[in-house]
Amino acid sequence: MDEMISMFIDNELSIDDKMFFVKRLKGDPDFFDETLALLDQDKLLRAEGLFPAPELAVKAPGVAQGRLQAFLKDFLGPLVGPVGVMAVVAVVVLGIVLTDRPGPPSGVCSSRLVVYQPEAREVAVAGAFTDWKAVSMHAAGSSGYWEIRLDIPRGEHGFVYIADGHRRFVDPTILTREQDDFGGENSILIVGQSI
Amino acid sequence: MIIFADFYRDHKDRLLAYLLRMTGDYELSCDLMQESFTRCLERYGWKGLTSSLLFTVARNAVYDHGRRRQVRQRSDRKRCQGPDNPEEHHLLREEYQRVLTAMQQLEPDEKDLLSLAATSIYSYREIAQQAGISEANVKVKVHRARIKLKKLLGEGSHHG
Repeated sequence: MDEMISMFIDNELSIDDKMFFVKRLKGDPDFFDETLALLDQDKLLRAEGLFPAPELAVKAPGVAQGRLQAFLKDFLGPLVGPVGVMAVVAVVVLGIVLTDRPGPPSGVCSSRLVVYQPEAREVAVAGAFTDWKAVSMHAAGSSGYWEIRLDIPRGEHGFVYIADGHRRFVDPTILTREQDDFGGENSILIVGQSI
Repeated sequence: MIIFADFYRDHKDRLLAYLLRMTGDYELSCDLMQESFTRCLERYGWKGLTSSLLFTVARNAVYDHGRRRQVRQRSDRKRCQGPDNPEEHHLLREEYQRVLTAMQQLEPDEKDLLSLAATSIYSYREIAQQAGISEANVKVKVHRARIKLKKLLGEGSHHG
């Protein structure tokens, strides 16, 4: 019978059960007190945000340099502290694309690709800007980040990361994606566009 | 269109709260949260992400960790030590931590069932399917876990 309290808390009671439950609350002070105490306990048990998960900043491709740097500061800056560790571990596969230097007149930008893959033994990037050849990225110490700097022509480019030679994955922080010819997806990197 | 970042934002707090109830350890919960999102993304793709799938993967991650911990204890972990937050949360956080600590004294199946019920995502029927027990058994065990938790908190309280 007392399971009714938990069923009430967990929204498992039918309308008839609820009527019975409310009547019992009215007529049984001990039952009322027990229900209130368990509700109070569950309110705390269900609390969210007291130890908040780090925010994942969503970056649209091609944002201005200042915003990109702010994005990087949010995610890479804290690496040295516990909050940084939180940020790192909570982001599933953190991919950051930085086009941080204006390109030469030819329309090429020096772009830095960064991705978080702590479990991978090797990570590569393949895209239109590499003729879809896998180009190995470099491990950034023991941080779990992999990075590479490439000269990429201005414009839109499909690309994908490849971990351990076979596991393809898109950059989850880039919202624009395309279907490839094999049923998979590619991220779309826009280089040189500012807002 | 489902965007991974939106999915992450919509689920991170609830998932972290669930993992905190299951582990009582903030750093570990963050690790497991990352692992859960990663597993989901790798196995099912960003288009296949659902709340139910995410919590199932997270639950498995907790148990996988439990098995690994039998080999290597993480004795140096600080229990549920989160980032610095505004002062007004201090007392609430202390109370919350007390509940999380008490949760860890429940039997594994009690902790699991109560943690799932407290997510507000699963019905008893769905919890029963996940746990491989009857719905009636879920009702009894969830309530028993709540009562036991209340007793543990009462024992730990200075007010008796």
